[in-house]
Amino acid sequence: MNPKMDVAAIWKQKCPGLMVSTEAPILESHGQDWTRFTTPAPAAVVFPDSSEQVCALVQVAAGAGLALVPSGGRTGLSGGAVAAHGETVVSFDRMRKVLDFNSIDRSVTVEAGVVTATVQALARQNGLYYPVSFASEGSSQIGGNIATNAGGIRVLKYGLTRDRVAGLKVVTGRGELLDLNRGLVKNASGYDLRHLFIASEGTLGLIVEATLNLASPPLPSKVLLLGLESMDSLMKVFDSLRASLELSAFEFFTDRALHHVCRANALPAPFDTTCPLYVITEFDCPDEQAEETVMERFEYCSEQGWLLDGVISQNERQIRELWRYREGISESISHFPPYKNDLSVRVSAVPEFLQRLDGLMQKICPDFEVVWYGHIGDGNLHMNILKPVDLSLDDFESRSHEISERTYALTEQIGGSISAEHGIGMLKQPWLGRTRSGAEIKFMQQIKAVFDPAGIFNPGKLLP
Amino acid sequence: MKILVGIKRVVDYNVRVRVLNDGSGVDTDGVKMSVNPFDEIALEEALRIKEAGNAEEVIVVSAGGDECQQQLRTGLAMGADRAIQIQTSESLQPLSVARALLKIIEREQPGLVILGKQAIDGDNSQTGQMLAALWDRPQATFASKMVLNGDTATITREVDAGLETIEVDLPAVVTVDLRMNEPRFVKLPDIMKAKRKPLDVISLGDLGVSVDGNLKIHHFAPPPQRQKGIMVEDTAQLVQELKNRGLI
Ligand SMILES: Cc1cc2nc3c(=O)[nH]c(=O)nc-3n(C[C@H](O)[C@H](O)[C@H](O)COP(=O)(O)OP(=O)(O)OC[C@H]3O[C@@H](n4cnc5c(N)ncnc54)[C@H](O)[C@@H]3O)c2cc1C
Repeated sequence: MNPKMDVAAIWKQKCPGLMVSTEAPILESHGQDWTRFTTPAPAAVVFPDSSEQVCALVQVAAGAGLALVPSGGRTGLSGGAVAAHGETVVSFDRMRKVLDFNSIDRSVTVEAGVVTATVQALARQNGLYYPVSFASEGSSQIGGNIATNAGGIRVLKYGLTRDRVAGLKVVTGRGELLDLNRGLVKNASGYDLRHLFIASEGTLGLIVEATLNLASPPLPSKVLLLGLESMDSLMKVFDSLRASLELSAFEFFTDRALHHVCRANALPAPFDTTCPLYVITEFDCPDEQAEETVMERFEYCSEQGWLLDGVISQNERQIRELWRYREGISESISHFPPYKNDLSVRVSAVPEFLQRLDGLMQKICPDFEVVWYGHIGDGNLHMNILKPVDLSLDDFESRSHEISERTYALTEQIGGSISAEHGIGMLKQPWLGRTRSGAEIKFMQQIKAVFDPAGIFNPGKLLP
Repeated sequence: MKILVGIKRVVDYNVRVRVLNDGSGVDTDGVKMSVNPFDEIALEEALRIKEAGNAEEVIVVSAGGDECQQQLRTGLAMGADRAIQIQTSESLQPLSVARALLKIIEREQPGLVILGKQAIDGDNSQTGQMLAALWDRPQATFASKMVLNGDTATITREVDAGLETIEVDLPAVVTVDLRMNEPRFVKLPDIMKAKRKPLDVISLGDLGVSVDGNLKIHHFAPPPQRQKGIMVEDTAQLVQELKNRGLI
């Protein structure tokens, strides 16, 4: 018998009322995330529409030993939501209810399938702000954000998704529903299990509901796009601006990144001077005082020779236009496809790391184009290696592995992490040991065994 | 040729405007203020004309309190050569603004006056037209394209039925529409330079223009709140809901 039919038949028989699909286009679309290195091959995709259905389906899976791949908005960049081995994809597309908004708690409670941008809009409508923001926010889901501890462009001021999660409902591998922390600000009553599920990449349980803290609406702000000579001067500019302004974002990209984003979106260069590096930074600018401060800082940094050129937004429209130069990069190179690295080091170690990494790339892959950008204010570098047009995907992948090997060895030396915010998933799994000790990995495996004794959640992802 | 460009300080286009509780006006406390977007386009067009070698000087002018110097400085940073503030603490209506601009025209003798087609606060769309009449020169309103040919200009206008192309003798008043161009970003070094560019302040009184108060706004009110929509399960329920509301 066709094993796919088999699995689908189990779902239909054991979980009446659960929406199950085995249609080829659905298997293909829901069997993969944003990465394109694996052929999707799930046996079925199920679409629960309530926590009860999730509990029931997990019990069935545990009993029948069916592997489950949790799937959110499928914008993940590490293959975490990829189903390539006949697993069942559990999609949260039908769990999109906003359950509660509480103005006194300043929180919103949503089902896991609610899209990030929906939470942002909801907060805005209520005079508040949901600060987790990045280019894929129109598709990514809260469940996926929590499972990867998503960061984005406002981490500098507002922190990561972890800092927003006040409560979490999860279904463990035994099919139990846990109600974790229940939205409390303070709760000193033992282990905070909620935090184990944040960044667990679907390996410990299924997130079905979350209560998220909202922030005060941001003050009026302005955006600077700056051109710089070197990484050293970039860090000095960062230091100088941060000393006197409240920065909510500080991002960098290279001239190659600018080239791609301009070409893909038919954007003009932001200014005539071509520079090796660019920074986009947003800061609170409630009054003329802040405006004067930024001019003073610009003058000072220019006199020091750190800055080559720069523009400043004059209105909200220009804020959005300037952000396009940064936000559009990822998409502008996605067709190559790029081999993405999401590296993290201490902020102070960024210049050394980048310099050594750049040297390494020139040595081991001078034939590849490398596009750099990242959340430099958080010590987070995105290194994208573009596949040359005439190289096959397989050859590119094996070369990428070699590059990873060397890159992660260097990352380990500097005491960094091989994944800042995209997760380990499937793509980075072979190198987990470069960032976590053997003892740590063993503890993680033991924790997984406690929550997921049958090993049904996302096998082959994150942990060896 | 000199080009004169009008600039108004308004609440930023993207700010959700809030009416004061007593209905006496709009809350501008701590609210982001910007150059009226149409005026920004007007200035961009003037700068492009100058950069193409068809004008020697671009002058920005704004009527208002000293706060509007901020928007004039923005104009200077974008590339205008000098600025004039027509100083007044009164709130002006289009006719007064047009009279004041006429005085500036008499002093400066520009070959072209470019304004926004309207300001996004009052949405009056009157100043340009009134100015052309007072000055007794041609007007080309709602322009989306402008080509200079010596002492005439060919202007494409956005009208209800589509596009209209007209030719006007210069000097003339042109008011610009949204599609004319995309204004540039302001370069930081140019903001520094703008601090040293001339900004003349002339009081409205000194221009011999009096504020006429034949129009007073008595009350501001926000538009009525839209009722929340409901989702219906099927057409039967849709029909029922429409019936319940007496709509069918
Ligand atoms: C253009 C672009 C820009 C991006 N920029 C950023 C950025 O700046 N910062 C950043 O952090 N990320 C970024 N990402 C990555 C991605 O958007 C985030 O990782 C996002 O949080 C993933 O959410 P998702 O719903 O798409 O998850 P998916 O890709 O569907 O899944 C991600 C992981 O979460 C698991 N998962 C999903 N839903 C659940 C659930 N309900 N319960 C348990 N596990 C679940 C999956 O199994 C998988 O392991 C970017 C992606 C793109 C395409």
